[in-house]
Amino acid sequence: MTAEPFSPYLPHPATGVAAATTGLSKVYGSGDTRVVALDEVDIAFREGEFTSIMGPSGCGKSTLMHCAAGLDRASSGSVRIGTTELGTLNDRQLTELRRDRIGFVFQAFNLLPTLTALENITLPLAIAGRRPDRQWLDHVISLVGLGRRLGHRPAELSGGQQQRVAVARALVSRPAIVFADEPTGNLDSRAGTEILGFLRECVRELGQTVVMVTHDPVAADFADRVVFLSDGRLVDEMTRPTADRVLERMKEFDTRTRTG
Amino acid sequence: MLRTALRNVLAAKARLVMTVLAVCLGVAFVCGTLVFADTSVAAHRAAASKNFADIAVTVTPRTPLTGAATRQNSSALDDALVHRLAAVPGAAAVRPSVDGSAVLNAADGTPLRVGTAWANLAAAYVPGKDGKDGRYPLLRGHAPRNADELAVDSGTAAAGGFGIGDTITLATDGPVLTKRLVGIVTTQDTRVTAGGTLTLFDQATAQALFAAPGRYTSVDLSAAPGTSQAELSERVTAVLPPDRAEAVTGAAQATQQAGYVDTLTRGYQKLPMVFAAVSLFIGSFLIANTFTVLVAGRTREIALLRAIGASRRQVVRSVLWEAVLLGLVASAAGLLLGLGIAAVLPDLLSTTQGTLPHGPLVIGPRPLVAALAVGVGVTVLAAWLPSRNAAKVAPIEALRSADQPPTAVRSRVRGAVGLALLVLGAGLLLSLTGAKDASVENLQTAMFGCGVLVVAMIVLAPVLATPVIRLSGRLTGRFGMTGRLAHRNALRNPRRSAATASALMISTALVAGLAVIGNSTGQALDRQAASGLGADYVLSTRTTTTGIDPAAVQRVADVPGVRTASAVTDSVLFTGGGVRTISGVTPDTVDAVMRLDLVDGSLKDLGPGRIAVSRTVAREQGVSASGRLNARMGSGQDFQQYTVVAVYQDNPTAHDALGDRTEVQRTGFDPGSIQRILVRTDGGATAKTIEDRLRTAVGNSPLVQVQTREELVHQAAGALGELLELMYGLLALGTVISLLGITNTLAMSVAERTREIGVLRAIGMDRAGIRRMIRLESVTVAAFGTLLGLAGGLFGAWTVGALANGAMTRYALAPPWGTLLLLCIGSLATGVIAAAVPARRAAALSPLAAVART
Repeated sequence: MTAEPFSPYLPHPATGVAAATTGLSKVYGSGDTRVVALDEVDIAFREGEFTSIMGPSGCGKSTLMHCAAGLDRASSGSVRIGTTELGTLNDRQLTELRRDRIGFVFQAFNLLPTLTALENITLPLAIAGRRPDRQWLDHVISLVGLGRRLGHRPAELSGGQQQRVAVARALVSRPAIVFADEPTGNLDSRAGTEILGFLRECVRELGQTVVMVTHDPVAADFADRVVFLSDGRLVDEMTRPTADRVLERMKEFDTRTRTG
Repeated sequence: MLRTALRNVLAAKARLVMTVLAVCLGVAFVCGTLVFADTSVAAHRAAASKNFADIAVTVTPRTPLTGAATRQNSSALDDALVHRLAAVPGAAAVRPSVDGSAVLNAADGTPLRVGTAWANLAAAYVPGKDGKDGRYPLLRGHAPRNADELAVDSGTAAAGGFGIGDTITLATDGPVLTKRLVGIVTTQDTRVTAGGTLTLFDQATAQALFAAPGRYTSVDLSAAPGTSQAELSERVTAVLPPDRAEAVTGAAQATQQAGYVDTLTRGYQKLPMVFAAVSLFIGSFLIANTFTVLVAGRTREIALLRAIGASRRQVVRSVLWEAVLLGLVASAAGLLLGLGIAAVLPDLLSTTQGTLPHGPLVIGPRPLVAALAVGVGVTVLAAWLPSRNAAKVAPIEALRSADQPPTAVRSRVRGAVGLALLVLGAGLLLSLTGAKDASVENLQTAMFGCGVLVVAMIVLAPVLATPVIRLSGRLTGRFGMTGRLAHRNALRNPRRSAATASALMISTALVAGLAVIGNSTGQALDRQAASGLGADYVLSTRTTTTGIDPAAVQRVADVPGVRTASAVTDSVLFTGGGVRTISGVTPDTVDAVMRLDLVDGSLKDLGPGRIAVSRTVAREQGVSASGRLNARMGSGQDFQQYTVVAVYQDNPTAHDALGDRTEVQRTGFDPGSIQRILVRTDGGATAKTIEDRLRTAVGNSPLVQVQTREELVHQAAGALGELLELMYGLLALGTVISLLGITNTLAMSVAERTREIGVLRAIGMDRAGIRRMIRLESVTVAAFGTLLGLAGGLFGAWTVGALANGAMTRYALAPPWGTLLLLCIGSLATGVIAAAVPARRAAALSPLAAVART
């Protein structure tokens, strides 16, 4: 990374809230098969902050992210991105919101196999029918370090490289918030650490807001804050986490599940 | 493995529905046609046996000749013979008949139901002892009693708009007659009910017209109980003058008549059978495609089966069993659909000219067996290659990710084979450009060449898909990202895209080829007919055995506005090589009415013993102007040497040879008759008034048709109607099957790409965008098929058209641009329509599909 100050890209004063949920519940099925995935969750993601959502399998962390990101509808409660209330949007508006204000990084990379790396990166802009801002695009590409491989198809890239393309794709439209769903889940530890480094970099250098779902304590180490979810509820929160402390906290869940 | 197959069929039923439909259509055509054939034959037989139900034996004069000859020869069947026949032991009743033909003018003055000469029946009303004719029960009015009266059957009355008391003009084979309609009868004669006419005269009138006074054309006998037809026939034969009359049993006649009408209906079977073949051929691609995708999508499952010990053979058999089940379902559905087709086909094929008899559906074992064999056979055959692919799946693939994008086709071998076939097919077709005529040999070469070309196109399509679709990507690229994605998706599996486009390719090639050849031939015929004809009006007889009253020529010439009226007598000329048509013309007026393009010689020398021949005849006989030709004219007895005075370019108005009219008339079968009057008007004017006067000049005879130059030219091209019918039928069929095929492939590829579409939705493509993407992909594939088909069809038409060059001097390639444009638009529309359902399904996918964990 260059040490140059990115004056035009300096973060807003880090006081605002990029996204927030209030009383967010998500219920699947009804009657006997009724499952409460999220139970009255209140959480805010501050601008310029790297938040990690953790918890044991089935705790509802993915559901929380899907609802917060406008991929899924909440059963009740509210979700806001900036000042936009998601519940009031129709499908087209919600789609536009995802396109213009949210970035995604998926566990399975989810690049389009028919497009080159560069085309994949600029896909959100192409869908919106906008020309990429050359300077910003170059910046994002240099940030994830893909310069030579832009003309390759995903099948010709390694997992780590694919995920780097995915990160660049998430950043290219300068979204208000980036959601990452187990971004290291399909990568070896070296590539995983690299991706986490990039996400960290985005937050620090670009003032990007990032929310990441993970179950990897090492991944959580890169975050500014870790929130713990259990049985659809927010149970704990940790600022300036370290891998050891997170691991410690996670073990408690294990014990509780075992004893409870 | 049967159970696995069954489960698989059930699991994939939605995807298989389309495939079933394609096979089902083909089976339906096969089965429908066969059932229709059986049904109509049964109906004809039933009707025919009803006609002859009361007739045990019919006596007819032996070796009847046409025209005047018959009248002298029929003398054997007179009242004395009728009395002798009535006395034959075992004969219950004797009914003499006087049959002939008559053409009526309908109430609006136009000839009624002409076109099929044998269907304009005329007969004598022969009252029995009770004063009534049992064969023709009276419906209204009374029987004709004198030469001024006639009766018709109810169908004829309805078609002609006649009522009792109307005056009707008609003609048998000579001058126009005018009679009053006094009675309407019913008849069960299938020739009449199938679209003919029946006219009844009183006995004396009929005898005067069709036999001679006191003579009959046939005598029908019914048998007394206990006497068989054969016995009666034997006894009747004994009393007949052996060389002048013969006896035929009723059963034999019924069979003969049924066979007669069968031949007519057999023609109707050709079209549906062509459709069946085409739909099954195209449908087999659809099946192969579906199975390929199904097998590919099930790679893991198959690998698992292999891993736990299933042999290759078992895997292959499982896939083939699946095909058998599918074929059975499709055949059953097709069978039902076919019965429906058979039920409505008579109505569809019935025209104003003739109605086909209706009857209960006859479902014999033949259609059932054919439907099953065809349906199951085609399906299994088509599934054979995909089943081989299934066998190649290695057990290890059970452990691999199935999400890998398919690798590029190894197309080198395919390309080489395809190219070789293409060169062979194109070479065969190109070798025809030098062909002089449409000989059987050349036609076979053409057919074979076209076949090879089609196969080459099918083999090469996957190889061509990449460059062609890449080219079309420039267009779809205009639609932004959705266009680009659509184009890349179409390219993703070129083999599948090509197979999907194959159906459209074949139907487009067929239709384009037919359209071009049809249009070119039509225009050539038009030009040929127009160029050879100098006349503005042609008056001609409808049948060759009748003539126009020679006195009419002067009356026509006297019509105001007519400059020249030239009479033509048509006859035959027997040469060593065969029978030719010769036109007897008047040498001093022929130039005004025929535009003859002389190759050699001069027409001025035309006269008795001196004839002109067309170029084809000249070439065939090896004669040139001032050469000699050994030939026999008309009913002349001996061959004689004719001097050839001129050779002209083939001309449909002049026929094969030209002679002096006086000479041709002398040897004609109906001596002194003329068949055509070619009329030149002042300044080439044609008007209703002139036409009416011309009609009047020939006595308003329904036997004579008055045609303008345009009508005649139009009639010459009319024979192409069937070709057009076939073309539009194939177009519709090809479109439907292509629609099914594209829908099928798209639905499968949407299912495979669920996650990708979810990602697009997640990162901000709206539903409309997804729909547009799928639609554009569909149109890309459709356009590819259309383009290839168009190229193949045009090439084929261009080369095969060369055959016509020899036969038709004025043949030139004339692509019907309008039709071809319509074809292209139709194909692209097919793409859009085919995408409707898959696009909606894709758009309905939730963005959550992107994060679904498999």
